[in-house]
Amino acid sequence: MTTDGDVPAAMTFELLKSAPPAAAARLGRLALGGRKSVIDTPNYFAITSRGVVPHVSPDNVARHLQTGGAYMALEDFIERPQQNLSRRPPIYDHPSAHGRPLHSFAALPPSLITVLSARRLPAVPAPLGNSNRSVSIFTSTGFQVLTTKDYLAAVQALRPDIAIPLADLTHKELTPTSKRALRMTERTDDWVREWFADQPDAGPSPDPNPIATFAPVLPVSYSLQWEYLERLSEDLISRLSGLAIYDADILPDLTSSTSYANLAALPRLSVAAPPSPHHVLRQISLGMDLFTLPFLNAVSDAGIALTFTFPSPSPTASADAPAVLPLGIDMSSTEHQTSLAPLAPGCTCYTCTHHHRAYVQHLLSAREMLGWTLLQLHNHAVVAAFFAGVRQTLAQEDGVAAFEHARARFHAVYDPELPAGTGERPRARGYHFKSQGGEGKRNKPGWSKLDEAGAEAEAKAAGARAEDVAAAAAAGAPDADVADALQRLLVSGGIDTPVSPPDADADELCHKGFAEVDKQQ
Amino acid sequence: MWAARRMASTTSASSAALTFELVAKCSTTRARASILTLPHGTVNLPLFMPVATQASLKGLTPEQLEDTGCRLCLNNTYHLGLRPGQEVLDAVGGAHKLQGWNHNILTDSGGFQMVSLLKLATITEEGVRFLSPHDGTPMLLTPEHSMSLQNSIGSDIMMQLDDVLVTTSPDAARMREAMERSVRWLDRCIAAHKRPDVQNLFCIIQGGLDLEMRRECCREMVARDTPGIAIGGLSGGEAKDDFCRVVACCTELLPELKPRYVMGIGYPEDLVVCVALGADMFDCVWPTRTARFGNAVTKFGVINLKREMYAGDFRPIEEDCGCPCCRPIEQEGAMGVTRAFVHHNAAKETVSAHLLTLHNVWYQLNLMREAREAVIADKFPAFAHEFFDRLYPDRTSYPSWAVTALRGVGIDLLKP
Repeated sequence: MTTDGDVPAAMTFELLKSAPPAAAARLGRLALGGRKSVIDTPNYFAITSRGVVPHVSPDNVARHLQTGGAYMALEDFIERPQQNLSRRPPIYDHPSAHGRPLHSFAALPPSLITVLSARRLPAVPAPLGNSNRSVSIFTSTGFQVLTTKDYLAAVQALRPDIAIPLADLTHKELTPTSKRALRMTERTDDWVREWFADQPDAGPSPDPNPIATFAPVLPVSYSLQWEYLERLSEDLISRLSGLAIYDADILPDLTSSTSYANLAALPRLSVAAPPSPHHVLRQISLGMDLFTLPFLNAVSDAGIALTFTFPSPSPTASADAPAVLPLGIDMSSTEHQTSLAPLAPGCTCYTCTHHHRAYVQHLLSAREMLGWTLLQLHNHAVVAAFFAGVRQTLAQEDGVAAFEHARARFHAVYDPELPAGTGERPRARGYHFKSQGGEGKRNKPGWSKLDEAGAEAEAKAAGARAEDVAAAAAAGAPDADVADALQRLLVSGGIDTPVSPPDADADELCHKGFAEVDKQQ
Repeated sequence: MWAARRMASTTSASSAALTFELVAKCSTTRARASILTLPHGTVNLPLFMPVATQASLKGLTPEQLEDTGCRLCLNNTYHLGLRPGQEVLDAVGGAHKLQGWNHNILTDSGGFQMVSLLKLATITEEGVRFLSPHDGTPMLLTPEHSMSLQNSIGSDIMMQLDDVLVTTSPDAARMREAMERSVRWLDRCIAAHKRPDVQNLFCIIQGGLDLEMRRECCREMVARDTPGIAIGGLSGGEAKDDFCRVVACCTELLPELKPRYVMGIGYPEDLVVCVALGADMFDCVWPTRTARFGNAVTKFGVINLKREMYAGDFRPIEEDCGCPCCRPIEQEGAMGVTRAFVHHNAAKETVSAHLLTLHNVWYQLNLMREAREAVIADKFPAFAHEFFDRLYPDRTSYPSWAVTALRGVGIDLLKP
């Protein structure tokens, strides 16, 4: 992201290089209304969970992340707590000196822009479908109904830089039936029209904190949504700032039809969840400008350090070089235990310049939260550098051809899929998934005690206090009770990281220098 | 010239890998301000040391920890001995290299966790005997093992393996045995310590709540002339009055030009009282652990941000706090985090725990910075008054143990 001197009143998108009308990669520059920051495209926005980039505190976002913005989901902010079911979501009352409460509430660095949508990425499918006037959302306290009117009111109160109006989506893998797909288009068409009808036109003085609307383009075939697209192009174009695209396959139709020339000039944000960098390149090749990448947070949770670059390294002639390069490496593997190498060779991110593989491996194996933080900083840096590489390639003379050449090489050099990762993931929270009957526990217990009595002590641990121990001693309780009270105290308050008995056998304890086999017994 | 040298010799002392310089003493209490120079740089005392148990401070990057002003943190020998283990530590080149921390590290002996957590552990003269929970093999952890591991960790301050007993144990004979054995084990630790030129070994005063036994232990330990001295076996559930008596009894006997470390202390009141009693260094997991339960430590007391009342509270975690979370976002390196935002993600996203950990560590370090400045300005009694005044609604609610302990060193909290 770069900073220019001028602050535009409204969003502008300038295409620096493109080859209309064909679907082809393009180089652009997005300037947001009321902001100095400029986002060079193709680029990506970080996906947040409950307003935070997972495992990355806002100071680290400011210092170490090169993303242009943050994707936020309204459903992450409007749960109804059990103890206060009628609560008005506190975020609506957040005072904001800068006129953007969503941004201020999440303590985001000032330079980042916010994109607000109703649902998380990826969204948990709702058991109940949407209605003509509302969609089902999933909050941390359960499913709720969000009406089109409430959503618009929320957007206007929270003032993101970019808002995506509600779309009638199923959030399921299966392609909807044509009947359902038609209804999706009709409803979305209604909702987008209503979105603009319910917003007053800008007055004579420009809004200092304008909201740019990116209209949803549905994951259904062109033949089912051409009427909706025509409406966007003919009636609503003057108030549209961009398109939020749920399936990149629509792009060839969108660009080939001369009737939508004005839509083609809009920036395109992919909310189509490309599963790998190969898919990202394909979408760029079809003319996508901006990306949200659910795989990015997911690989960090899986203990994977991304290792790809764009353009990809030149194939080496050496015989022992692997035929196909991996997109990432599993940092949980014990092979990294003593490696002082950076996560990816030549990487300039905070993690790679200050730490090494051995530390990240140790943190993952010890389940220390910092492991996921360091992976996030690295993986976001790899993706930011990837997009910078794409832009550099496109900026060359005959950039589109150079990009296509580099893309073909990337496909040839890298593994088609991201590695799965063998490490334990961070705790899954209720709002991450919908539990299905009969499945096991998502999270392993953090630690376990030696015996049954221990488990009992653990259950009591929350209430254990030093006073209990003193009281037990003062009351002349038997030693065993004092010892038990002390044990509870140790478990509950004395030790920061729960100490599990060594999960190693005697040989390993000796090997690690921890103790020796006792020959006297 | 002669006078200057004489001055220097009365205010500073050096050993192979440590220099202690006394900067100021409170004219009322026993509080002191000093500078401790260790192999990885200088730290100002009094000092709170946050606990990075497994070579990581609970989600904070070493860079974030450094920015709080921390220059000395703890690692636990027991945990590092199990993960990543001695072989990896040797290959990597020690704990500083492992965690990318170029400042000082203190490690405990590893014995405390063994004894307190493995029910099958018994202590004999050779060391801690326990059955491997994995396969039941009898195992032995000796002072020599502890030294060898701490040498591999490369900590700037290592702790001796001691025979820890609950201070509240009524068995005086066993208490004496533990105290005397700790002295013998110190001798074994000194003999086994392979790098005294770059790592400091501290002794640990034992003796339970028996002041006579503590005095005897002080004499024995001081005679062994370790570069620093710890007061151990406390914060195990004894009455606070007893705890303060033990600390006061020991600091009275300890040499002036050595750092004094009270192990396992971390509540703000305990820190302020122990500084008044003449102690310099403290460590505790409480501030970082309580952060993960949604608790913020503030000068007005601990608040639990998980409570519903904070959902719409848009004030900073602590008003006028100088930590990166609480300062307004317009300032350099600041975030302008609100209580509402911490509440929003408490027990949901790890970031909330990171923010509270950052705030709490900053609070503890800053409390000791303020205490130090007060000692240097010779205003420590006023500092103690103000501290308790902010923390409690009125004087009648001051904890009696703190009032008693401070009265013993010349501060009457109940009088202005």
